[in-house]
Amino acid sequence: MTDAEEHPYVEWIAHEARRSVTTDQAARARIMELVRAEPLPSPHHGLLRRLLQPRALSMSPIASVALAAGLIGIGVVAGSFVHRRDGLAKAGQPPVVARSVAGLPVSDTVVKFVLVAPQAGEVSIVGDFNDWNAKATPMTRVPQGAVWSVTLPLGVGRHEYAFVVDSQWITDPRAPLAPDDGFGHANSVVLVRRGSGL
Amino acid sequence: MSDDAADVQRVLAGDVDAYAALVDRYYDRCARFAVRMLGSRDDAEDALQATFLRAYRALNRYQERDRFSAWLYRILVNQCRSVAARRAHRERVFVREEALLLNTPDRRTGWTGEDEEFVQRVLSELDPLLREAFLLKYIEEMSYEEMSALTGVGVSALKMRVKRACDRLRDRWERIKND
Amino acid sequence: MTRFSRFLLGGMCGVALCAPGLVAQDPDPFAKLDPNSRFAVEAIIDSAQVAGLPWRNLRSRALEAIAKKVDSRRIVAAVRTRFTTLKEARAALGSVGDGELGAAAAVIEVGVKPEQLTALRNPPRGRSPLAALTVLGDLITREVPRDEAISAITKLWQEGRTDADFMGLFHGVESDILQGLNPGAALQNRIREFPGRAGIKPAPPAGEPETLSP
Repeated sequence: MTDAEEHPYVEWIAHEARRSVTTDQAARARIMELVRAEPLPSPHHGLLRRLLQPRALSMSPIASVALAAGLIGIGVVAGSFVHRRDGLAKAGQPPVVARSVAGLPVSDTVVKFVLVAPQAGEVSIVGDFNDWNAKATPMTRVPQGAVWSVTLPLGVGRHEYAFVVDSQWITDPRAPLAPDDGFGHANSVVLVRRGSGL
Repeated sequence: MSDDAADVQRVLAGDVDAYAALVDRYYDRCARFAVRMLGSRDDAEDALQATFLRAYRALNRYQERDRFSAWLYRILVNQCRSVAARRAHRERVFVREEALLLNTPDRRTGWTGEDEEFVQRVLSELDPLLREAFLLKYIEEMSYEEMSALTGVGVSALKMRVKRACDRLRDRWERIKND
Repeated sequence: MTRFSRFLLGGMCGVALCAPGLVAQDPDPFAKLDPNSRFAVEAIIDSAQVAGLPWRNLRSRALEAIAKKVDSRRIVAAVRTRFTTLKEARAALGSVGDGELGAAAAVIEVGVKPEQLTALRNPPRGRSPLAALTVLGDLITREVPRDEAISAITKLWQEGRTDADFMGLFHGVESDILQGLNPGAALQNRIREFPGRAGIKPAPPAGEPETLSP
């Protein structure tokens, strides 16, 4: 302490405060439980950049018009989040890529979510539109393919959502993130605007 | 390579359990800061959980030239601020359910003794920014440069905060003495 | 329940019944809460209805936490916090929709002061701060320093920038951060690229549609 700060009382407070605190073992154990439920952190920025090279998205004329009318929430996902811990992603193969594209609608307030997740067994979407129920809105896979999709009517405004891929909650890395939910997770956000003519 | 950096590399290579080593190494120390800062074990646990989860997710951004503890503490300090902010919002007066919940048990305090409770109360009386600076300086024993890198606040502002914290503590002693 | 919210609920049910993809919801999603916590949560939602606040946002918050298996104490705390922040959002923003209030409440919960949002207050007809608030939340979540993010978003709003501008900013900053740039620096880089500032507006990456509302 500086001379100005030295004072027996202040030193005593500091000394007592330096004592360790008792911690709850269960709370501590819960951290690793939560960590194990997370996707592995991705080690390579460079790899992500290559994976994010855009791919042409084909779109129907209706979709283009409706997009121009104001649906937001396109996402392109890449990353090692589906990098399996059991090591099934073999060396030399590119990491599995999941891609989500929100906003290919068939009407003004309907949104199509698309996810590319070739190794997933089960994918659903959860959000404020289905009470966050992972069983409520399964996504369906194109036969033999890697693409999962679902089309949903969404009320105009702001919606938070996430994808559940084999019981793991993941955000859409190319959609805006909602601020930390206070539970240690993040959600994605899609904004739905009323189209022209309504 | 330090143990920390080696463990980080292991996690990034796919060994999730290597993260447990990092948690074990830092949990108690982080818990001490969080409890002293927030004055509540429940809130401290919230902050600790969020800290270690965020650190895990951000491991690919950790650079070996940084000290892992400093990097982790930057997350911890921010999480403590967030938890405190949420608590401040929560403690506004509510009309209806406040009365309904009067019988719910208090939050755990879990202080081990009178002294600890007293010290915690004294610390909690400090303005949060002063408390934070005091804890980083005298409990975490960081240099002002480290504190500055961690909080984003300038060294002279931090020195002022620490000095003010000590002044307040001294004033408190004077009041106790004179009672 | 107010007449208006009954109308909304009816409308939404109508839409839900017509569309595939939304199976019947769990009839009692709050059953997973212990009685005390359930009582508290329902009382808070009730208070929100009485106060004319977005009670569905609160309900959703509780259900989200239940789905994430958060313990009851923290669920009640989160719903309680959200009630207050929705009130603060309304005080700050004035006459805006539920989406705007929800977005504002979310950023207030991570440290934005309500008074820092007053530049977005009572937007003129035809403008909504929803995209601005959404991008603000995203920037803060990606660890752009809070005050820098607020300052940037506020300035862009005051300059009359469109939703497309805000979403373009989000894409640009996100892309830069993924490439390893420090979040604050990423924001400053992308701000400079707006017309009227140094540099030109970045085009969206090739192949990605211009998604954004006019």
